[in-house]
Amino acid sequence: MTKRPVAWVLLPVLLVALASCDPFGRHGRDPEPVPESPKEVDGWAPVYNKDEANKQIKSMEPRTIDKGGKIYVKGDTLYQVESGKGIHVIVLKQPSNPQKVAFINVLGAQEIAIKDNMMYVNNMNDLVVLDITDVRAVKIADRITSVFHLVDPAHPPGTGYYECVDASKGEVVGWEQKTLSYPKCRN
Amino acid sequence: MKKIVYLLIFFSTVFAACDKADSGTTSKTTGTDGNTGQGGSLARFTTAMDHLYVVDDRKLYTYSLANSANPQLKGNIDVGFSIETIFSYKDKLFIGSGTAMYVYSLANPAQPAKLGQATHVRACDPVVANDSLAYVTVRSGSRCGGNVSALIVYDVKYVTQPIERNRVIMESPWGLGINGNRLYVCNGNNGLNVYDITDPIRPVLKKQLSGNTFYDVIILDNMMIAMIEGGTAIFELKANDEITLAARITN
Repeated sequence: MTKRPVAWVLLPVLLVALASCDPFGRHGRDPEPVPESPKEVDGWAPVYNKDEANKQIKSMEPRTIDKGGKIYVKGDTLYQVESGKGIHVIVLKQPSNPQKVAFINVLGAQEIAIKDNMMYVNNMNDLVVLDITDVRAVKIADRITSVFHLVDPAHPPGTGYYECVDASKGEVVGWEQKTLSYPKCRN
Repeated sequence: MKKIVYLLIFFSTVFAACDKADSGTTSKTTGTDGNTGQGGSLARFTTAMDHLYVVDDRKLYTYSLANSANPQLKGNIDVGFSIETIFSYKDKLFIGSGTAMYVYSLANPAQPAKLGQATHVRACDPVVANDSLAYVTVRSGSRCGGNVSALIVYDVKYVTQPIERNRVIMESPWGLGINGNRLYVCNGNNGLNVYDITDPIRPVLKKQLSGNTFYDVIILDNMMIAMIEGGTAIFELKANDEITLAARITN
């Protein structure tokens, strides 16, 4: 007898609460491909490769920085990862006049470290050792295959929204952070 | 300036880090070996004690670099979930995840041993540290989760039990770096904040640098190399907290 009144009081509260949810976004003005998918949100987008030639690890001519990833400095040289694609090599002898001297093609590259003249870089999920004595002509010194899991072609390396993979655009070689609009996939 | 201050890099949900090295007389790097370089606080690779340490989403992998051309895998350890960053300082590794900071001992560099951990709010969290303190940024947001964006100061004097000592609310903190009594914290599209950490537990905001979207920093003596939106920016660090842009590399 004493519990009934509580239930009756809660019922309208529940109804109001549910009504205000509008879980399917029917009242929204903007089109929403996925319920609750935000109009603007930071998330991940796949980096694709379509060119088989890019699978070869080698020094190339310097190129334009597209997104610019993680950075690493040794001596007067800056290395900046181009997510999924390789490493820009930039000499900072004169800080006001940095010189791009090479681009090292490494598919799936996300991370680097250097000891002496050896660069450790991930080539997708392989650890590759490059002799960078001459950054314009790097040589593969070693490769340790499939130990860590740094690049997952199906899912981004973190939780949250991501741009769904479109296989027609090529092989997924990495993920980059991006502002997304109504993303359809979520990790 | 005599003190060697290393940064820890830690990271949690994304990449978040600005990192830093030392302000010593020579520009050392993330490793204790003189011949290694220095990464940012978002890194998943770091070198220390003649070893390469790698973190993926869940594990820590240890490679001996005794022969630098042919690393030898020594083992792997389950650390946790959503691991994002690793930072080495002296004989310790600091590993950042989406919900915690883990500290490992390198007493035996081939076999890191867990010392302690600090669990924090769910967020993105790069870290830098020195002998007694670790500075961690946590950034909330749709991708990172959580609802706190802040610079958190942990006392790590007793690493088995890190204690939170302070929390400075920020807009969008990413990576960070220490240089002597200055702490540089990337603040995303709000620029970069410079804190006076003469009193290390109470960072005092000295300067805000705008004009770029900052994600990570490496500080080398009087130079600050910043990962910015679309590339890198090089700054000169001068007296009285004057910071001059030397170059931007975004094309």
